[in-house]
Amino acid sequence: MADRILKKENLGKLVASVNGKGGRFIAPVLDARQVVFKDVARAEDIVSDYILARNSYKEYVFPQTEVVADFTVEKHGVDLKSREVEARETVVLGARPCEATSLSSLRAIFTWDYIDEFYTKREDTLVVITVACTKADEACFCTTVGLSPETKTGSDVYLLETESGDYIVETMTEKGKAFVERHKAAFTEGGAKAKALVMPEKIGTIDLNKVGARLKDKSHYDDQVWARLTRKCIGCGACTFVCPTCHCFDITDEGTAFAGERRKNWDACQYDTFTLHASGHNPRHYQYQRWRNRFMCKFNFYPEKFASKGCVGCGRCIRVCPVRLDITEVMEEFSR
Amino acid sequence: MSNNIYLPHLVTIEDIYEEAPDVRSFRLVFKDKALRETFDFKTGQFGLYSAFGLGESTFCIASAPTRKGYIQCTFRKSGRVTGGLSELSIGDTMGFRGPYGNFFPVDEWKGKNLVFIAGGIGLPPVRSVIWNCLDRREEFGDITVVYGARTVADLVYKNELQHWGDRNDVRLIQAVDPGGQTPEWQGKVGFVPTVLEEAAPIAENTVAVTCGPPIMIKFVLKALEKLGFSDENVYTTLENKMKCGVGKCGRCNVGDVYVCKEGPVYTAAEVKKMYNDF
Amino acid sequence: MEERLRKKAKELLESGEVKVVIGYGWNRQKTRTSPVFITDAAEVDRLVWNPLCVNNLSIYLTRKFKDIQALGRPAIVAKGCDIRNIVVLITEAQFKREDVYILGMACEGTVYRQELWKGELKPEIMPTKCHNCDVRNPHLADFVVGEKSSFTPPEAPAGMVFDKIKAIDAMGQAGKWAFWINEFSRCIKCYACRQVCSLCYCERCITEKNMPQWIETSAHPRGNLSWNLTRAMHLVGRCTFCGECERACPVNIPLNLVNQKMIQVVKDAFDFRSGYDEKTHPPMIVFSPDDKDDFIK
Repeated sequence: MADRILKKENLGKLVASVNGKGGRFIAPVLDARQVVFKDVARAEDIVSDYILARNSYKEYVFPQTEVVADFTVEKHGVDLKSREVEARETVVLGARPCEATSLSSLRAIFTWDYIDEFYTKREDTLVVITVACTKADEACFCTTVGLSPETKTGSDVYLLETESGDYIVETMTEKGKAFVERHKAAFTEGGAKAKALVMPEKIGTIDLNKVGARLKDKSHYDDQVWARLTRKCIGCGACTFVCPTCHCFDITDEGTAFAGERRKNWDACQYDTFTLHASGHNPRHYQYQRWRNRFMCKFNFYPEKFASKGCVGCGRCIRVCPVRLDITEVMEEFSR
Repeated sequence: MSNNIYLPHLVTIEDIYEEAPDVRSFRLVFKDKALRETFDFKTGQFGLYSAFGLGESTFCIASAPTRKGYIQCTFRKSGRVTGGLSELSIGDTMGFRGPYGNFFPVDEWKGKNLVFIAGGIGLPPVRSVIWNCLDRREEFGDITVVYGARTVADLVYKNELQHWGDRNDVRLIQAVDPGGQTPEWQGKVGFVPTVLEEAAPIAENTVAVTCGPPIMIKFVLKALEKLGFSDENVYTTLENKMKCGVGKCGRCNVGDVYVCKEGPVYTAAEVKKMYNDF
Repeated sequence: MEERLRKKAKELLESGEVKVVIGYGWNRQKTRTSPVFITDAAEVDRLVWNPLCVNNLSIYLTRKFKDIQALGRPAIVAKGCDIRNIVVLITEAQFKREDVYILGMACEGTVYRQELWKGELKPEIMPTKCHNCDVRNPHLADFVVGEKSSFTPPEAPAGMVFDKIKAIDAMGQAGKWAFWINEFSRCIKCYACRQVCSLCYCERCITEKNMPQWIETSAHPRGNLSWNLTRAMHLVGRCTFCGECERACPVNIPLNLVNQKMIQVVKDAFDFRSGYDEKTHPPMIVFSPDDKDDFIK
């Protein structure tokens, strides 16, 4: 049977088709010497030689800053208007298989009894087109958390790069099938040889089950190991901002005394003000306690509470950390 | 109809009560007439209160669900939002989202004695329970209220304290910290946990509810243990910083427990099982 | 040099003169260095020294790190450029000279970013600060490790940062504005620049002060501009051009350009360069009748 192919020279057609039908096309491009996910108008801007984009594509379902309501304060009352999300097809091309699994984790949080439509409406119209990895670096550890470049869960469309720079297309979900159908002019049929996938080596000293079991035992909270391993953390929060599963946010008002907007902004559990009470008491007074919370969130809260992955092994937090605090070194310690 | 979970309801400030220095209560009425009729909550639940242009702040609903048609909140002016709320006057508009969280299982307490122990600004959540139970007085046994504050001026709900003291179906013990008394002070002088131990309520068939500063709660729990209360019969309400109130924003958790969704009301037994993340 | 450093660290810990040695160690793969805190003399072999030791560890001497302060008197492994930050911290009364034991490292330069390292320190992977360094031999230290460097910096500072500043200066007002608005547009408000800076030691940063909210916390153009400009202003006469903020920035905002420009302005206006003398106060906290006022335009 012939494969469905997305030819390199047809990428432009696909971009034009998506943008032309009122959609949004997101792909890795070069910006300020980094590969980042951005809106793309021309296929020539799309980069194919990269490990992972610097940012997670979560910002297209959970924007860094977003207005949830507008208000004007008048003499006798307040005029309050809700913001609604305009849902339109948003296509992310070039996600990696690891990060594609993160959406189900975010969805679990944003639909936990109360449905955050700012998230769900965007995710409902998001098409994740994954390109399987033909490169990895020393920060990649997907295989250590039970994923790999062959993981297809979370992808709507899964692409394999071919020797000639084209893509072999596999549709994984109804959404993916509908997407290919909608933009079928960009796809062809044929045969091609896929490039070999590159698997990061599994870190043999890490056992996720052991990590999970140690974290469940509540006595570890007072273990000196946290301070010893993580006191170098400077609390910048860069790890949380690039992480595909970090979901914390702040709600804040901006504007003048008479009119303004209520915004939902990314926030980070690594900041000391994050949990600071009005009384001055802070449940997480030291930085290592904040770091511990993030690790707990990834390897206890997400898996135990939401049966989802808190960490997909993309390694972004390791690459971005100014003090090279490597989460796998802590996982290693908790595998003992 | 908007499904925006972050959109507050508009409420009008119908009355303002000065409770203590920098502490005031608002009596709030929904602008939406239909909502005014249908709005319901359970004692112990909380809400997010907006001062538009400044943001939202979390406090409990201090009124009782047995009192319909309005809600009351009590807050201390301490930050940006509470500072902004303090500037508002009767007739002004603010925002309210809620009710959120779990509640005190008052229905399970039928036939039991109740002891309420509160410190300072910790009385408002307990007040909701007290009025709820007083409005259904015949369903419960003895009711004891132990309330203390740093100084006489810091005692909140002074009129109600007097009312409770005057009732013969409530045993009220008031206290102020040493040095906080005035020459006219008739109540006890001492810290709440000590005063509680002296009052020695009977533990048998009794439920205790406590709220106050973390340090007070810590010692109240010890005192209750000494008095023979089992951890299953002691309730408290945890106050952590919150922004969303609906289990999304990620900051109110104590270990794996999200206070906004799975709390704020817990038994002492549940609190003792939590990760040490207070 | 590494052996000499370990030996000294061991002595210091064994004698009890210091309780912790703040230095550099390897990551698991031995491809990057990362800060380590040695409290046990038996662990001094974890200390390493090489051109990958880019972090400015002086940040761990500030009051932001209360659990590190709780360990006791520290010794710190510091390059000359890091020592400049320590000097500023002393002049700003953050601690006293005797509160810290400085293990000064004679330095032949570091890499701009660790990922550039291919086993050899070539000029093209060194940051501008190293090419112009006049403190390769530590100027303030309790103990110096390593051979004296014979490097002399060029008469007039040169390198990529200086070239770019010249280019931006030539852009004119509109051009400069467009350049910076574009650069700041990428800001994600993670505050890594602030957190990695040893001179950003405020317990409550202006951006966290919300009564009133001086700086909007949203990552939109208004918020990004006011944050980045305010931080630049707060570093005037203090920044030592250590480059940590630019290195830490996850979105590659060229903060070195802002900070070096401010350094040049301070040099012209006050003939002052920060971080050389722990007994001289920085110009922004002293008043002198001789101050030139010609920078007010």
